[in-house]
Amino acid sequence: MFGINDPGIWMAYLLTFACFVFSIGYGIVFWNKDKSKNDQKHQEK
Amino acid sequence: MSTLVLGIIVIIYIFILAWLGWLGYKQTKNSSDYLLGDRKINPMIMALSYGATFISTSAIVGFGGVAATFGMGIQWLCALNMFMGVIIAFIFFGGKTRQLGAKHDARTFPQLMGSHYDSPLIKRICAAVIFIGMPIYAAVVMKGGAVFIEQVFSMDMDVALLIFTVIVAIYVISGGIKGVLYTDALQGIIMFISLLFILIWFYKSMDMGFIEANRNLTNIAHLVPDHLRELGHQGWTAMPVTGSPQWYTLVTSLIMGVGIGCLAQPQLVVRFMMVENDKQLNRGILIGCLFIFFTVGSIYHVGALSNLFFLKTEGMIASELVKDIDRIIPLYIDKAMPDWFGVIFMLCMLSASMSTLSAQFHTMGAAFGADAFPKLGRSKNPNSTIAIRIGVTLFIVISYTICYTLNASVIARGTALFMGVCAATFLPVYFCSLYCKWVTKEGALASICTGAFASIFAMLFLHKAEASAIGLCRALTGQDVLIESYPWPMIDPLLFALPLSVAAIIIVSLATKKTAK
Repeated sequence: MFGINDPGIWMAYLLTFACFVFSIGYGIVFWNKDKSKNDQKHQEK
Repeated sequence: MSTLVLGIIVIIYIFILAWLGWLGYKQTKNSSDYLLGDRKINPMIMALSYGATFISTSAIVGFGGVAATFGMGIQWLCALNMFMGVIIAFIFFGGKTRQLGAKHDARTFPQLMGSHYDSPLIKRICAAVIFIGMPIYAAVVMKGGAVFIEQVFSMDMDVALLIFTVIVAIYVISGGIKGVLYTDALQGIIMFISLLFILIWFYKSMDMGFIEANRNLTNIAHLVPDHLRELGHQGWTAMPVTGSPQWYTLVTSLIMGVGIGCLAQPQLVVRFMMVENDKQLNRGILIGCLFIFFTVGSIYHVGALSNLFFLKTEGMIASELVKDIDRIIPLYIDKAMPDWFGVIFMLCMLSASMSTLSAQFHTMGAAFGADAFPKLGRSKNPNSTIAIRIGVTLFIVISYTICYTLNASVIARGTALFMGVCAATFLPVYFCSLYCKWVTKEGALASICTGAFASIFAMLFLHKAEASAIGLCRALTGQDVLIESYPWPMIDPLLFALPLSVAAIIIVSLATKKTAK
């Protein structure tokens, strides 16, 4: 994978790319979500 | 590029830093502002500051050189920096830390721990660990910056170090955390652009793609020097032989030490307490990961691939060309990048060092003025920042002095060392303060003391790299380390100290649970 034979190395690259993609997805989905505010509202209810 | 032009650009850069420091000074009204920016810091600035503090010259020059010498195994560090240092840290530690900090009105990491466990002693011990460990880490970062300035300006190392330290001192002492954060944000942007450019330029100048370059690097594995092969080196796109000395250094010191240690670094933990709500932290994940991906990821990748460049232009691999690991990346920049880029990279290096150093100086000053001597200078004004400012100045002088005693090739190791100590000492208590209500004050105290003592003992008597350099074990026992049979001298102190620290918090908390009730 990625032109690298050793899984010990390409897995590091794979995890790096996975974190990159996850951070973009997470950042976009939760950009305006405030868990602490929701918890507070829930407690008030 | 002439020294005159370089000098002018650096002076402009320093003026901008001074202006940002002044901005921080103007907006700092009390000690809460000075320590936490009144908990209302913009998420973009917080995340850039988090990343810029994370990535020092150690990450660029030190670990970049490690990548050039030992290969792409160091990419695990980038993966763990993103996974542990940003994703896990922000999602599982960030929000809870922010809430806990606000609940206890804690302004520093020792205050957070001391207030949560209701123990002034815990607060003082945490501050003491910061006093002892952080000046060494700061000295290592200073050395990285000074080595680069020395090379670029052909300047005397002592002068480079002095100028560099004075500039950081001015904006940290005057501007407080706001001065630190504003300058960090600017420095983070400079680092992001320049390291991304290095990556793009490598592929453009070598006329290769990602996979082709990796394959070419695989194909030169036979050029690994014999002395590195004996240590377990199998090529730049392969992990070292499992259980070899190089494997132990890479896995236990660099990857685990930094990868786990980054979770419990006091100067990073306080950044979670600077934002207003969890929304800001969610945004920080995106910005933080992008930042590390394009900065750390780029330089580690190019570091390993620099062997292809040196082979093509100089006829030999990087570690054959330069013996000092810390000088490989500066040489690569000098030889491979366009002339005009030298000045951008110089700003990048200055930024990397200054952003990390400023956070360290601020953390040490806070530990001194707010944790160890909270009454100093506050008899008339309880919000006075004078004690913290005195602390910052004191630790700048101490770090500066330590920097003179450091040998070559210590940059990467010094960073891993400090992060390892942080992990063993702070991680169990920090984690338990957020997730384990059953942990007692006595358990926390036992864990901190065990972690700190075990780390220091392992460095002095078990881990060869530090023990032989310090020489205390040889002076007392006549041998470099207490256990000489392989692999014990190669195993990082973290692997002894962290399990002991975890065991201490569990056992002592269970034993003292009834008493606590």
